[in-house]
Amino acid sequence: MSGAANPSANGMGSKTAPYMLILPAILFAFWIIGYPIYDLANMSVHSVNRFGVTTTFNDFNNYSRLFSHQLFVGMLVRTLIWTFGVVVGTIVLSVPVALILNEKFFGRQIARIIIMLPWAVSLTMMAIVWRWSLNGQSGMVNATLYQFGMLQSPIEWLATAGTAFPIEIAVGILVSIPFTVTVFLGGLSSLPSDIFEAARIDGASAWQRFRYLTMPLLKPFLNIVLVLNFIYVFNSFPLIWVMTQGDPANSTDILVTWLYKLAFRYGELGMASALSVVMFLILLALTITYAMLAMRNERRN
Amino acid sequence: MHKTGTRRVLSLLAGAAALVGMSTASDAATIRVVLGYYSAATQGLFEEMAKDYMSKHPGDEVKIEVIQWDNLQQRLTTDIAGGTAPDISMIGTRWLLDYVKNDIAEPMDSYITPEFKAGFIDAFLAPSTLDGKLYGLPIAASARAMYYNKDLLAKAGVNEPPANWDGVVDTAKKIKALGGDSYGFALQGKEIETDAYWYYSLWTHGGEIIKDGKSGVASPEAVAALTLYKSMIDDGLTEPDPTGLNRQDIERLFKQGRVGMILTGPWLRGQIKDEAPTLNYGIAPIPEGTTKATYGVTDTLMVFKSSPNKELAMKFLTETVFTPEWRIKFSKAEGFLPVMKEEAKAFADDPQLKAFTDMLAYAHFAPAVANWEQMVDAIIAALQKTYTGQSQPEPALKEAAATIDGLLQQ
Amino acid sequence: MENKLRKSLLLWLALSPLIIIILFPFAVMLSTALKPPLEVLVYPPTWLPTELHWQNFSAMWEAARIGPAVFNSTWVSLAATAICLVVAIPAAYAAARMEFRGLKLFRQFLLVTQMLSPIVLVLGIFRLMAKMGMVDKLPALVLAYVAFNLAFSVWMLQAYFQTIPRELEEAAKLDGASAFQRLRLVFLPLATPAIGITAVFVFIYCWNEFVLAMTLLRSPEHNTLTFQVFSLVGGRYQIQWEQVMAATLVASLPVAVIFAVLQRYLVSGLTVGAVK
Repeated sequence: MSGAANPSANGMGSKTAPYMLILPAILFAFWIIGYPIYDLANMSVHSVNRFGVTTTFNDFNNYSRLFSHQLFVGMLVRTLIWTFGVVVGTIVLSVPVALILNEKFFGRQIARIIIMLPWAVSLTMMAIVWRWSLNGQSGMVNATLYQFGMLQSPIEWLATAGTAFPIEIAVGILVSIPFTVTVFLGGLSSLPSDIFEAARIDGASAWQRFRYLTMPLLKPFLNIVLVLNFIYVFNSFPLIWVMTQGDPANSTDILVTWLYKLAFRYGELGMASALSVVMFLILLALTITYAMLAMRNERRN
Repeated sequence: MHKTGTRRVLSLLAGAAALVGMSTASDAATIRVVLGYYSAATQGLFEEMAKDYMSKHPGDEVKIEVIQWDNLQQRLTTDIAGGTAPDISMIGTRWLLDYVKNDIAEPMDSYITPEFKAGFIDAFLAPSTLDGKLYGLPIAASARAMYYNKDLLAKAGVNEPPANWDGVVDTAKKIKALGGDSYGFALQGKEIETDAYWYYSLWTHGGEIIKDGKSGVASPEAVAALTLYKSMIDDGLTEPDPTGLNRQDIERLFKQGRVGMILTGPWLRGQIKDEAPTLNYGIAPIPEGTTKATYGVTDTLMVFKSSPNKELAMKFLTETVFTPEWRIKFSKAEGFLPVMKEEAKAFADDPQLKAFTDMLAYAHFAPAVANWEQMVDAIIAALQKTYTGQSQPEPALKEAAATIDGLLQQ
Repeated sequence: MENKLRKSLLLWLALSPLIIIILFPFAVMLSTALKPPLEVLVYPPTWLPTELHWQNFSAMWEAARIGPAVFNSTWVSLAATAICLVVAIPAAYAAARMEFRGLKLFRQFLLVTQMLSPIVLVLGIFRLMAKMGMVDKLPALVLAYVAFNLAFSVWMLQAYFQTIPRELEEAAKLDGASAFQRLRLVFLPLATPAIGITAVFVFIYCWNEFVLAMTLLRSPEHNTLTFQVFSLVGGRYQIQWEQVMAATLVASLPVAVIFAVLQRYLVSGLTVGAVK
């Protein structure tokens, strides 16, 4: 980033050139992303019927109806459980997996490809296959349990929140591992190997090397992965929508699935737009956190 | 006298001009018909109707589009909002109220003759008549009944299908006593129509979903209706974990011969014929509680007010879709009940269908109220909470009732 | 050598639970897709079909309209990827190579748009498209996909562009090459791998996207593959699982193969992009 110090680096010469170059991207974003944000914000403070006609300013009635809705708190709590569950689970599993994949062993390339596989397959397909696998009467999960004699009568895995929600979290973890492992692998490969060599010569055990060298050095990557995963998972819609659609009795509903129901099933456009704005603000707060973390990293580097 | 004459001539001319204008425009006059998916046959059936119509009216085009029922209402709502509504759509009849209220549905009376109207069975025309005006024509009608597995019941020592709920419980207990992996009574616990499965019990116990403008789902009758199902689950008289099974799942159990009794509609006959031809089953009325009842459902074809081709759209309906020839083909392929008198004659000698049509006298229809989908979800949530043991029938239903009352006041 | 073998066995053993769970859905797809329809729903369920019923694939292809869906997905994804790159490359070049007022603001702007997912704005996007008369039109999806991938693409590309040494361009400049020639002859050839990797990520995103397709598309003949397969499951009274599994297999395999082949490049590419 030495461009400022080096005037000749200004490749295109003209002063307006950089603006012309970024202009299309900015226009695009304002058009397709910016306008909807404005429209949602506007709708959220007006009365609106189910066919989308807005009328009068309604004194934040949409927001008060949203916050006082009997399902709202439950949705929020489940969203937090879902997000923390997936993010924490992903990281706890990804660190050892990345450490293993960073070792040299036979078939490492194949192992890497397999672990990355869920990344290539869409969440929708994953969810469809798992939904079918977990079918109580004919699914392959129960088939496997029967075959090993671990099951006498069918278990309906998706019939109660007690099993359905943890399973959805587990599938969420499964599909989040590839990205997380990738970032950790990138981090591990950037670590200077001579320090580890030195530590080994000094007689540090493997655990000590992990605890006092690897972990602190991976910390910046950990921060990034935490925030990015948090945002992805918070926004994750297809898994739950396909597997249970929030059933039974809203016990697997989270904010995004509820938002979709409010907007497109119930025609509650006022509450839906208010919820969109609330979620946008939550994401914005997370983004700012991320930006601050990233900046701190940059400074350290 | 002279004046009115001129005016008539003028208006005739204007009409002719409009006709000329229309016929040039009608080179491209296309009517779009949106339909709900009943079965793999739906698309082909309506495409043939369209072909038939187009061959009689060259120049007009009828475009058929079939989509999933779960997405249909959402689809239409957003289409209306986006100004891309079709000309004709199939809808659940209860949605009409919303559309009429928001001035979206076109009244049909001025397009049809009294004879055409008289051709329908009155009971099916009633739900789409609002404030004395007809807003839709019933395309499909069904009532529900109880299918029972004759072999399984006989094995349990029951030779006549139970006529009331006590009998159902008793029979289910005997089937349970047989052991094995067969269940007495199928109970649907998730997805579309989970609520309907409970209405059978609600109505036969004398309850109502909405009564005098207020929710009736927490009435003593309603609590009794749900308590009955809950106790059957607890006693192992249904399949385990009903909230894991949707309508297809329980129907499959029946087709596999693994459940004694199931409440459902006429379509299951067709599926059994194809997939389980050896199944020995019978059809009986919905079990009685304090009274007789069944669930009557009609789906309706309506014309949108926004359509530029309303005249044409109505022609397609009156000249093709609702002719005895096409009605009979439709009802045969989809397994619904006849809605026209002429059509009904073709099915007069089908005893199984009679089991359903006999129930029509006791049919209850879903209430025509706004925000119905949200009420359904509240009811389903209450049922699922009870079925999973998360809540007792009464508090769960009270919660749903509060939601429904709130929505009714909107 | 023997030591490495032992270590390899141990490490594979440690990974095996995860690997089994990852491969499980693929085994289920294969098993169900090859079963005769009447065996799919038997109780108790079994893994192996009594005969390999390949007809499921042809039945699925016809009954489930997979052909048109594959076509739609392909052209939407290709168009979105191309437009996205055309818009993103100049912006990334500016962000990587030029100093200008507002650069920092531009980067923050990118960050914020990158954090937004379609689901949060889906209602607003639907209304925008309805206003433009683009509901049920595939170009609406292309526009939305471009918008939601721009930030990511610019971010990735500029991280890469920064790793391309300036010296080559400076040398070309001394040789009298114009700015445009430098860009075309020196910079772009060096940036090709980065552009390729970005393109693959954008393509996979578009190929797999679900929420926008579900919301914006109307006619079955416009469905993209992901949404078409979902519509075989969602809201149906009858689900033909053997066909659905055949369809998921067909939908997943091509992308999985591309991903497996390019895995090494994609992973190293993303690391540069994500961490910078």
